[in-house]
Amino acid sequence: MSSTGDGDAQSVLDRLPERLVDATVLERLGIAVASTTAAILVGLVIVAASGYSPLLFLNNLIVGAFGSERVLARTLRLSTFFVLTGVAVAIAFRAGVFNIGVQGQFIVGGLSCTMSILWTAPFLPGGTVGGVALMLIGTISAAVGGGLYAAIPGVLKAYADANEIITTIMLNFIAIGAVSWLITNPFGREGTTVVQTESLPENVRLPPLVFGDANFSVIGLGLTLALVVAVAAVMTRTSFGYDMVTSGYQASAAVYSGVDAKRTIVATMTFSGAVAGLASALYVIMFQGRFVEPASIHTYGYDAIAVSLLAANNPLGVIPAGLLFGGLNSSSSYIQIYSDVPVQLIDGIVGLVILLVAAPELFRMAAKRAGVGGEDR
Amino acid sequence: MEGITKRFGDVVANDAVDFTLERGSIHALIGENGSGKTTLMSVLYGLYEHDAGTILVDGEPRTFATPRDAMDAGVGMIHQHFQLVEPMTVLQNVILGHEPVERGFVDEERAREDIAEISDRYGFEVDEYLDVPIRDLDLGTRQRVEIVKSLYRGAEILILDEPTAVLTPQEVDGLMAVMEDLRADGHSLIFISHKLEEALQIADEITVLRDGHAVGTVAAAETSEQELAQMMVGREIQSDREPRTTAPGDTLLDVEDLRVTGDRGLEKVSDVDLSVRKGEIFGIAGVQGNGQSELIEALTGLRRPNSGTIRFGGRDVADMTRRDRIEAGIAYIPEDRHAEGLVLEYDLVKNGLLGNQTLEPFANNGLIDWMAVRDHAETIVEEFDVQPPDADAGAASLSGGNQQKFVVGREIGHDPDLLIASHPTRGVDIGSIEFIHDQLIELRDEGLAIVVVSSKLGEIQKLSDRIAVMYEGEFIDTVDPDAVTEEEIGLLMAGQRLADETEADSEVRQ
Repeated sequence: MSSTGDGDAQSVLDRLPERLVDATVLERLGIAVASTTAAILVGLVIVAASGYSPLLFLNNLIVGAFGSERVLARTLRLSTFFVLTGVAVAIAFRAGVFNIGVQGQFIVGGLSCTMSILWTAPFLPGGTVGGVALMLIGTISAAVGGGLYAAIPGVLKAYADANEIITTIMLNFIAIGAVSWLITNPFGREGTTVVQTESLPENVRLPPLVFGDANFSVIGLGLTLALVVAVAAVMTRTSFGYDMVTSGYQASAAVYSGVDAKRTIVATMTFSGAVAGLASALYVIMFQGRFVEPASIHTYGYDAIAVSLLAANNPLGVIPAGLLFGGLNSSSSYIQIYSDVPVQLIDGIVGLVILLVAAPELFRMAAKRAGVGGEDR
Repeated sequence: MEGITKRFGDVVANDAVDFTLERGSIHALIGENGSGKTTLMSVLYGLYEHDAGTILVDGEPRTFATPRDAMDAGVGMIHQHFQLVEPMTVLQNVILGHEPVERGFVDEERAREDIAEISDRYGFEVDEYLDVPIRDLDLGTRQRVEIVKSLYRGAEILILDEPTAVLTPQEVDGLMAVMEDLRADGHSLIFISHKLEEALQIADEITVLRDGHAVGTVAAAETSEQELAQMMVGREIQSDREPRTTAPGDTLLDVEDLRVTGDRGLEKVSDVDLSVRKGEIFGIAGVQGNGQSELIEALTGLRRPNSGTIRFGGRDVADMTRRDRIEAGIAYIPEDRHAEGLVLEYDLVKNGLLGNQTLEPFANNGLIDWMAVRDHAETIVEEFDVQPPDADAGAASLSGGNQQKFVVGREIGHDPDLLIASHPTRGVDIGSIEFIHDQLIELRDEGLAIVVVSSKLGEIQKLSDRIAVMYEGEFIDTVDPDAVTEEEIGLLMAGQRLADETEADSEVRQ
């Protein structure tokens, strides 16, 4: 402890990163809740300063996320997409590979899912059995499509030393352009000017069960959670996961332990892209029922980067982070419809919430990287 | 420094330590790893805040909250692990944070002149490398860059934290000369080491730390290695070669005509032949950078040889991957435990799996059995006396000696047929060195084939049944450790064959 009084504030500041590094999971959750509250309070002040009612805004914020069965279903639907794409990003980031291309893999996976179902539907019986079979085919195709599309930048990085941040971003644009052309021309729906594919057959759908909203199914939520748990298990309980995570922490030690660095990069990207594809399969089967103009799809793949960082790239942590994003997105469309607060202000406040929630985690990671906390004697 | 106390939680790293450095002298600070040397110096350098005690510079009490405060007071520190930005050039590294500025632009010309002046004054060749990125320099040169960096920032007091740990014998001599020049020029130096002979050779005074206490300060001229060693560990050290009672068996490793290319496209290993028998320790001596690292990487599967055969138990393994070789029974104690041997952010349990992640019983069909891994890590911690005895401790929190004991324990735990140990006791305290040596000898007696690379001649001579000396990528000679002196090995390491011995003795050595 410092003996001088005026040094105390300084030393508290100095110790803050150390404290953050050592924080437990529960403490971190507490920090996240406190940050969210603080950010919303600041947001309300801004709303009031802009001449709108902060009480109405707060009301809309809550009602827009949980206020009715319909908005709750929307929140959960959006959350599943954020969780799944967030997990896809987390896999790659954990392994030290920066996959910024989840959006592109999502789009390619979604088209693979849609087209494989449309092409095989005529050969399968109708009814539930045929529907389940088609959904399985679509899901597998989505994983394969997303995985292969992600393998391209993986191979380029491993064997040609191409920076994956750049290649994955470029491949996002290629995916949007190529898929947009495909569903405008050869794969497009006949007799309409709307850029979209044919609709999936009637038997390809997940029943809502609990919520009376055709766009959201509890089965989809269950499958999402199951996939998250499966990914977490792969990362922590398999040799493959240990190879990946160790490569992310310390590549030289991984190579020493017998990891083939190049193959691990390709495998990581493929795994990450496959999960992005699965996110898209859920998007197509549970929500859209067809594939639409890719440029019009929400940027789940980019938001997923924030979701993953918020969760410190921990697959399980992605669940609360995805829920926060789902809730905020659901609220923001509600506020847009039911109040005259401009969309820019809503986006700004949503951004503020994310920033404040992410900041402690980012500091924590930065402090960890800088070596604060562990003694190096 | 008077009565310095520093605690980490319940651990007292420094307990009321007094330390006085005279102007224009070299003061060695010695002690085992974990005895608190680095902590004490980190307090002086403003990296840690001390819990009690005062620091006086020229009689004035000072507190250093950050290294910058310490630097402003003329204290510079050369860390054991260099604090250099590898992709940046020497010039950029030296001036980083203290750039001479001319109308808002960095005045490179002035920086060049200043650095050239410092280099010339102490006979450094650093100014020749000003535009070379750090990553292309060898460790000795990087260290001189660090020293120049401190001097450039106006350091009067230089703290050198285990500066010889990474150097070859020649580079150590060079460093000693530099330190003498610095002393002659009025600088005061603190030399942290656990190599007793180096401390005796260079220092004016020696302070010994043990378990966070200053055991005593003695004048270097009035003490002996034996006395210092006793102060350090509190017991006698046995370091002589003992005659062996077992005999080596059949040949296990047989390497022929091996050629390996290094990182910069140059051939680093040229036509090396070697064979190692079961129950034999084969020592490879040589000045660092003569191809030992590349040879070891080729043997362990981390680097693909250009040509030649590596037969292990009769099988050619030259094209096998590292993982296949681990599974075949080749264990490897790596040169750099921080980069390779351990994942610093993992605890010991997770580190216990490193290299084992495909081996039973730790993994079955790709699934990890963490209970088995934990048992294994706890066994290593217990059998190898790793401190603290806690498998959940983070690898980064252990002292160097304990990290190394863990790595050695894990590699032996592979139950290998061949153990390749690269600098197995580098940066390790005396107690742990003895322990690791005993382990290696015990394994040899059990019938393991062992290859040891070390820059410490005493170690090579103590352990080896045969010693190969490597020079410019070739084995210049293979000698019997009982029939050769340290001086003779030194000559071989400098590239002179023993046939020229009489001539070489009268000539100035290279």
